Amino acid sequence: MSIADRLLGRGDLHSLAAPYALDALEPAERHRFEKHLKSCDSCAAEVRALSEDAVRLAWSAAAPPPSAMRDRVLAAVRTTPQEAPGRETARARAPQLPPHVWGTQPPPRSRASRPRLLLVPFATATAAAALVVASLFAVQANRTQEQLDAQRAQASEIANVLAAPDARATAGEDAEGRTIGVVASASKGRAIVTLRGYGGLPSGRVHQLWLMRPDVQPRSLGLFDGDTPLIASGLDKSAASLAVTVEPDGGSPQPTSQPVVQLALKSVGFGE
Amino acid sequence: MEADELLVLVAGGDQKAFEELYGLVSGPVYGLVRRVLRDPAQSEEVAQEVLLELWRSAARFDPRRGSALSWVLTLAHRRAVDRVRSARAAGEREQREALRANHPAFDQVAEEVEAGLEREWVRICLDRLTALQRQSVTLAYYDGYTYREVAERLSLPLGTVKTRMRDGLTQLRKCLGGAA
Repeated sequence: MSIADRLLGRGDLHSLAAPYALDALEPAERHRFEKHLKSCDSCAAEVRALSEDAVRLAWSAAAPPPSAMRDRVLAAVRTTPQEAPGRETARARAPQLPPHVWGTQPPPRSRASRPRLLLVPFATATAAAALVVASLFAVQANRTQEQLDAQRAQASEIANVLAAPDARATAGEDAEGRTIGVVASASKGRAIVTLRGYGGLPSGRVHQLWLMRPDVQPRSLGLFDGDTPLIASGLDKSAASLAVTVEPDGGSPQPTSQPVVQLALKSVGFGE
Repeated sequence: MEADELLVLVAGGDQKAFEELYGLVSGPVYGLVRRVLRDPAQSEEVAQEVLLELWRSAARFDPRRGSALSWVLTLAHRRAVDRVRSARAAGEREQREALRANHPAFDQVAEEVEAGLEREWVRICLDRLTALQRQSVTLAYYDGYTYREVAERLSLPLGTVKTRMRDGLTQLRKCLGGAA
């Protein structure tokens, strides 16, 4: 360690190169070290070398993946849009949710060929849900770091539901053409729910999602935040349908109004 | 074709190139995630996420900063470690230990696979490290512990663990130098 390092208190950061290469830092420390890396060429060189060593450790753990995984990944790839290389491009093309999120796959090439919103269940879970995931990433460009982290965590949760072998998708439309879309996994007891066309609530009102079961009080599954998909957990086999009501800000313990839309879950493996 | 070239094609939206890239990296990605997480179902989930992320963000890959393989394996490792830590934080540790006891040890599973030369070399080289170097490196990398947790588990000062990790990796590099 040089005297300059000592004076500037950088010595401690230098010594984190090996733990960093092994992913053995806590998030805050990792963040601090990455910031330091930008201004420290010698650390960057050391990290590069140590990371290559860590990759040898990784490579030596190779094992054949389940063959079904290949089909699932390749199917998802066919419908998952890619990130544009530059940040500016991403910002320019992502002012809002892409119009095809609730459409059929593949995403339409032009406005003229865009299919009408669906009235029927989606063709496949992967197609629909991959689009949900894609839409999450597409709106990221203008968000703060905190929002980005939250969205990343959410995207990862969604990907987990997606990855379930029993993940299925369905959608419903109300009289006014507004849609509710669901990707659910009965084995995980989780569902990703997205509303489209329900925006423009008066201030102080919010959309709340309810789990409906025969002979049981509706249970709240959470509040919607605009177009952002809502992840509902704790669903069991008896879950018959999902319902959305308009409630005062903060939500209600029980629904205080008629559902604006309701969607049966039988086709996605629930409702037994 | 090499992973680096394929990744450039993938960034341009080439699905065939992705299929080929999948063939090259899915084994290391899945194996690594499985080594860290142990649980097969969770490993499959995380590996899928990583591979889909590879497709989605291929354009972010910068060949000047390292190889495609280290990029994707770094990504995979970080995801696996994040997952195992959040499981620990949620108190699922006992459950995980139980899982581990009920499944064949990873090494047995891996034995069924064609054991690569690289794997053998790494094993031999790990054996040549001092016990503290080996434990510091493997507890962090294969079990997802932070260096603070490693220090706690081994009852060592933090500085010692950081040094053992660096020395361990450096020794490993020297030993593996002849294996490439």
